[in-house]
Amino acid sequence: MTVGPSRGRRYVMLFLFFCGFSIILFRLVTLQVLQAVELTAKANRQHEKTVSFEGARGMVSDRHGKVLAMNVEVPSVFGVPTSLENPSAVARHLSPVLRIRSSELEKKLRQNKSFVWLARKVEPEQGRRLEQLSLGGIGVVMEGQRFYPNGPLLAHVLGFSGMDGQGLEGLERRYDTQLHGEKRVTVLQRDALGRTIFPKGGKEQVPTQGQALTLTVDEVIQYIAEKELDETVVRTHARSGTIIVMEPQSGAILAMAVSPRFDPNSVSALTPDRWRNRALTDTYEPGSTMKAVVAAAALEEKVMTPGSMIFGENGKMTIASTTIHDHEKLGWMTFSEMIQKSSNIGAAKTGMALGDQRLYRYLQAFGFGQRTEIDLPGEVNGLLKAPKSWGRRTLASISMGQEIGVTPLQMVSAIATLANGGVMMKPYVVSEVRDQKGLLLMEVLPHAKRRVVLEETAKTVTTMLERVVTHGTGTKAAIPGFRVAGKTGTAQKIDPRTGGYSSTLFVGSFVGYVPAESPRLAMIVVIDEPQGEAWGGTVAAPVFRRVGEQVLNYLGVSREDTVKIALATRDY
Amino acid sequence: MKTLTILAGVMLVFVFVWERVDVVRLGYQIERSKSQKILLERERDQLQVKFSSLAAPERIAKVATEKLGLIPPQQGQVMMVHQSMDAPGLSSPPVEQVRLARHVVTGRINE
Repeated sequence: MTVGPSRGRRYVMLFLFFCGFSIILFRLVTLQVLQAVELTAKANRQHEKTVSFEGARGMVSDRHGKVLAMNVEVPSVFGVPTSLENPSAVARHLSPVLRIRSSELEKKLRQNKSFVWLARKVEPEQGRRLEQLSLGGIGVVMEGQRFYPNGPLLAHVLGFSGMDGQGLEGLERRYDTQLHGEKRVTVLQRDALGRTIFPKGGKEQVPTQGQALTLTVDEVIQYIAEKELDETVVRTHARSGTIIVMEPQSGAILAMAVSPRFDPNSVSALTPDRWRNRALTDTYEPGSTMKAVVAAAALEEKVMTPGSMIFGENGKMTIASTTIHDHEKLGWMTFSEMIQKSSNIGAAKTGMALGDQRLYRYLQAFGFGQRTEIDLPGEVNGLLKAPKSWGRRTLASISMGQEIGVTPLQMVSAIATLANGGVMMKPYVVSEVRDQKGLLLMEVLPHAKRRVVLEETAKTVTTMLERVVTHGTGTKAAIPGFRVAGKTGTAQKIDPRTGGYSSTLFVGSFVGYVPAESPRLAMIVVIDEPQGEAWGGTVAAPVFRRVGEQVLNYLGVSREDTVKIALATRDY
Repeated sequence: MKTLTILAGVMLVFVFVWERVDVVRLGYQIERSKSQKILLERERDQLQVKFSSLAAPERIAKVATEKLGLIPPQQGQVMMVHQSMDAPGLSSPPVEQVRLARHVVTGRINE
C-alpha cells in the first residue's frame, strides 16, 4: 500500500503557496493601486517628451519682394549645473569656443539650478564645435534669430526685435502681433534610446509662423537716398539728416532715410538716440519751406493772386518790437516773386492778410500739429499752438516757418498734397500682410484724408514753386530734363544756452516734387546743423537733385526731351 | 473546425503585432523625414541669407564701381523709348517703356 504525503506536509505546502501568492498579490496591489499615479507619471516621463515649437517670425520684404528682415536658426548653449561633477573643467573647455571668460562660465555653472543659459544665439560654427566636444551637462538648442541681410539699410523703419523675438522698435514693434509666430506644445512618444517615435495621440501641434509684411518701400530707392544722405551728412559735418520719398498720388513711402545709420543686427551697444526714426519723432522749425503752404492758403482764400504786388520794405520790417529781415533788400515784387525769392517780409504780410484763424485752419488742414497716422511707432504731433495762445508776432513768425514745430514727414505730406492736386493722402509703409502660405490677409489701399485746396490752387502753387527752382533760391535742385517744383528752407535753431535763435546752428531743407506736371515723387531733404554754408538751397537742394535724378532714371520716368517712336511689330 | 478557429486566432494576434510594429516603423520614418525637412529648411534659410546679402544694393554698387569700373549713366546716356499704342501690328499691350543706353562715351575701365 502506497502512502502519500502526509496531510501535515500538504498543509505546509499549501501555506507556503498561499504566502507566496499573498506577497505577489500585495506587491501587485501596491504597484497597480497604491503607487499607480506616481508610477504612471514616472513611466510617462521616461517614454514621453514634451517639446515646444515656436513658429518663425514673419518675413519683411520690399515692394518687389526683396527680403529686408527674416529669421534664421542659430545655436544657443545651455548648461545643467546640477548634473556637473567638475564645473571648473567644463568652463575651461567651453571658454575658448564661446569666447567667454572661464571664470564667468564657472560662476554660472556653479549655480544650484537645473538650467542656465551660457550663451544665446552664437555663430553656427561655435555650435558645431561644441557638439564635437560633447561635454556632459552642456547642451545646444536651435533658436530663431532675426536677421537683416542689408545691414543698416532701412534700419530706422524696420526697427529690430529682442532676444526672445519680441518686436522692440520700428515696424518690428508696430506689427509685432502679425509678425510673431505662435508657440505650440506637443507630447512625443520615445523609445528606450530616447528616439522620437510619434506624437502622443497621433496628432502633432504644428506651430503657426508669423505673417509676412510687404512694404511700399523700394530697396533701390532707399539705397540711393541713404547713400546720398550719408555722403552729405559726412561732408557737411552735420549732426543728422533725413530724406523721405513719397508717392504723392497714394501716400506710399518709397524711401525713408535717416543718417547716421545703424545696423539692426547688432544694437546692444547703441543708445536710443541712434535708432530713433527722426523722420517722425523729431520736430524742427521748417523755415521758408512753410511759405509754400502759406501761399496755397492765400491763393485758395483769394487773398493773393500770383500777380499781387507786395512791398518788401527794403529788407527790414518791425513787428511787435522785433525786426524781420530778408536776405536781400527787396522792394516791390509780385506774390510769385515773393515765393521765388523767399521773402520773409512778404510771407509775414501774406500771413497777416490771411489772419490768424484762417492761417491756423489751413495749417491744420495741411496736417500740422497732428500725427499723419503713418503705420510706424513713435510719431509725434509736432507743435502748433492755437491762435488764442499766439503772441503779437506769432502770425508773422509762422508764415515764415518759425514758432511752429513740424516733422519731416508732416512737411513732405503737406507738399505731396499740392503735388496731388490738393488732396491729402495718408502716408503708409506696409502694403500687404500675408500668412505663411502666401494668402493675402490684409491689403492697404491708398487713403485720401481730405481735400485741402482746389486743384486749380495746387496748380498755381506748382507754377510758383517751379520758378523757385528755375530762377529762385532752389536752382541747385533742378534736374535736367524734368520740371521740378520745390521750396528751400533755412531755419535757425534755438540755442539751448541762451534760449534764443542761434547764429551758428541751422537746419537746411528742401521739399518738392518732380516732374511738376505729373508728379511721381514728393521728397524732403533735411540736414540738421550742417557746418559751413547751411542754406537749404546750398546744402539740401543738391541732394534733392542727385536723389531725384537717380530715382527717376531707375523708375524709367521720361525726360521732357524723350523721343517718342512707334515700334512696329510683325507676325512671324 | 477547432483547429481553424485556433489558427484564425493566432493569425489575428500576428496581424495585431505586425500592425503595432509597422506603426512604430512608420513613426521612425516620419521622424527621420521631419529631421531632414528641418535641415533642408535651415539650409534654405542660409541660402536666402546668402542671396539677400549678395543682392544687397550696397554690395552691387560697390562691385559695379570698384570691380567693374562702372559709373552711373550721365545725362543724355539713357533714352526712354515709348511704344506708341496705335503702332500698326500691336495686338497686345506692350511693355510700357524700354531703356536704351545711347553710347558710353565716358567711364573708367579697369583692364
